[in-house]
Amino acid sequence: MSQTFVSETAHKVVTAVNSTVSLAYDVYSKVPGATVVYKYVRDSHQNDPVRTLLELVFIVVMAWYFFNNKPKGKNEVKLTEKEIQELCDEWEPEDLVPELTELQNSDLENMAVIAGQILINTNSASGTKVKLADGKERLNFASNNFIGVMNSEPIKEKAVAALRKYGVGSCGPPGFYGTLDVHVELEQSLARFLGVESSIIYSQGFSTASSVIPAFSKRSDILVVDDACGMSILKGVELSRSTVKFYKHNDMKDLETVLRKVQESTKKKPLTRRFIITEGVFTAYGDICNLPAIIALKEKYKYRLILEDSLGFGCIGQTGRGTPEHYGIAPADVDVYVASMANALASSGGFCAGRKEIVEHQRLSGLSYTFSASLPALLAVSALEALKVLETAPVLAVQCQQNAIAMREVFQKSGISQIRVLDTFSNTPIIHVRLSSRLANRQEEEHILQEVVDTCIRDGVIVTRARYVEAQELALPVPSIKIMASAGHSKKDSEKAASVVKDAFKKVLKVHRLG
Amino acid sequence: MESMESFTNSNSSWPNLRGSIATNIFVLFILRFGIGLVPGMSTEAAWTITNLTYYLITFIMFHWVLGVPFQLNQGEYEDMTLWEQMDKGEPFTPAKKYLTTIPIVIFLMGTHYSHYNIPTFTINFIALVTVLIPKFPSMHKVRIFGINQQPNTD
Repeated sequence: MSQTFVSETAHKVVTAVNSTVSLAYDVYSKVPGATVVYKYVRDSHQNDPVRTLLELVFIVVMAWYFFNNKPKGKNEVKLTEKEIQELCDEWEPEDLVPELTELQNSDLENMAVIAGQILINTNSASGTKVKLADGKERLNFASNNFIGVMNSEPIKEKAVAALRKYGVGSCGPPGFYGTLDVHVELEQSLARFLGVESSIIYSQGFSTASSVIPAFSKRSDILVVDDACGMSILKGVELSRSTVKFYKHNDMKDLETVLRKVQESTKKKPLTRRFIITEGVFTAYGDICNLPAIIALKEKYKYRLILEDSLGFGCIGQTGRGTPEHYGIAPADVDVYVASMANALASSGGFCAGRKEIVEHQRLSGLSYTFSASLPALLAVSALEALKVLETAPVLAVQCQQNAIAMREVFQKSGISQIRVLDTFSNTPIIHVRLSSRLANRQEEEHILQEVVDTCIRDGVIVTRARYVEAQELALPVPSIKIMASAGHSKKDSEKAASVVKDAFKKVLKVHRLG
Repeated sequence: MESMESFTNSNSSWPNLRGSIATNIFVLFILRFGIGLVPGMSTEAAWTITNLTYYLITFIMFHWVLGVPFQLNQGEYEDMTLWEQMDKGEPFTPAKKYLTTIPIVIFLMGTHYSHYNIPTFTINFIALVTVLIPKFPSMHKVRIFGINQQPNTD
């Protein structure tokens, strides 16, 4: 049995070999030029098998490279027509507008509706006093109106005159026919005000920091950032594609640890650019950064400092020159000084001030400068006028700080232990009032705070909850009510407002049985 | 935010243009005949010198020089050679195929015209291997002996 099997397979093998050889001979005799190739290869052999082998290896490599194609994706799943159809039938589109949560619904219902101005001469739009839709006037503590020039009449007149002269929009980026004389004047005024060599204007306050940071910091650079920095800095850091290291909020020891770690890990590598990024007055907490310590560390470890002083410019320091002045440091000592003109200067946009090279580099590399339209002339003029107001009356900055101090005192002397207010830096204009102990979930806390806000609005003071895009924040701050001090209010009004908020808290906390 | 690209990399898209193969072959012709015009140059030496010059120039162009001559995508290509930048790092694209085929073809022609003597063969062989190794997809972004290593890799 096995013998026949063996002889059968042997027979099959012999016939297979025979047919292959005869096929090869057929090809050889039929393909034109096959003899030539064969003769050439035989001649070139020249009794050197190694060399021929190597040449053949190269020919094989060439053929392999030529006929190879990029590898297909490993996770490619092939679906049949029926499966594709099933998936299509099952699919239901997401709502374009999702259902509102209960908190969002109540937010919407209780929203303060401002009776807007219809005639130029009525003073009912935003300002220090606001008229709501029910006709009553209320004190406005929710706007970043630090020196009180929001909606000021003289500035509005100048802005309207600029509107009649230049039109509304500037119709172009600053580098392409969008720069007006008022922009140049504003840049020079800001530079002169801060005592720096030069400054550059951006058309939106939020995108200023997001453009300045990627203009200087690239992929191989290192950024050391305070972890309480706001969204515009975080976006700028993300766009820069640099290596980011965060240090604990305002913790100088942690900052030094991080700087030392970076120094050790990059000892043998080539030197790249390094920056420390911090806000002057933090939006999330209302405290001031420890600028002298940061400057000492930056000198020691050879970093550059990017200071984002949106909430400090115009209201901190003896004459409103921001966080550096608060510590007696010249703003020119900060390498890159960034601030928004939408707060104290009650206009729009932002600026970056520093040495000439720093500013000139941004004229081509600041993406929001080169690819967005420039600030409209009327807003540039209002910023200029507000800056003039600040220059002629620097006491406004001090008034803002005094109002903030007075309000914080009211909260501290209130004796309500369930709420707390930051008191280490009592002169910053942004006051966060938070619950002392955390509740079960964030929704509940926001609900209670919203009730406090609604009560305050009913009682004549407009305040607001601090709002965040929760999904995008790196370190989501604790829910709080945000009160913005302003030099436009008198000290008495500020104290009255603080006590209104305090009483609202008492009422609401009692209702919720928390105090 | 993985591979965000605002601008195309014009430093590395030119091998895909029309006429780049023809230009390559034309340049090789000029090189070979220019070198052959030098008095006292034998055919074998001319071929070997053409090959070596071509290998040297393409090696420096494609596998030595790093980065792009302008600021692009926040310094994305700072640590990549032209070969790694081409076609966004995809292997076996048509441009890469022709750029790999040409060195091998001129090597084979070189050995043919130099009548297969051993010294020229060895020189050409070593040069060809040096030029071919970085072209394989498994050598993408590999840096041997720390040559050309940049701080970008983190």
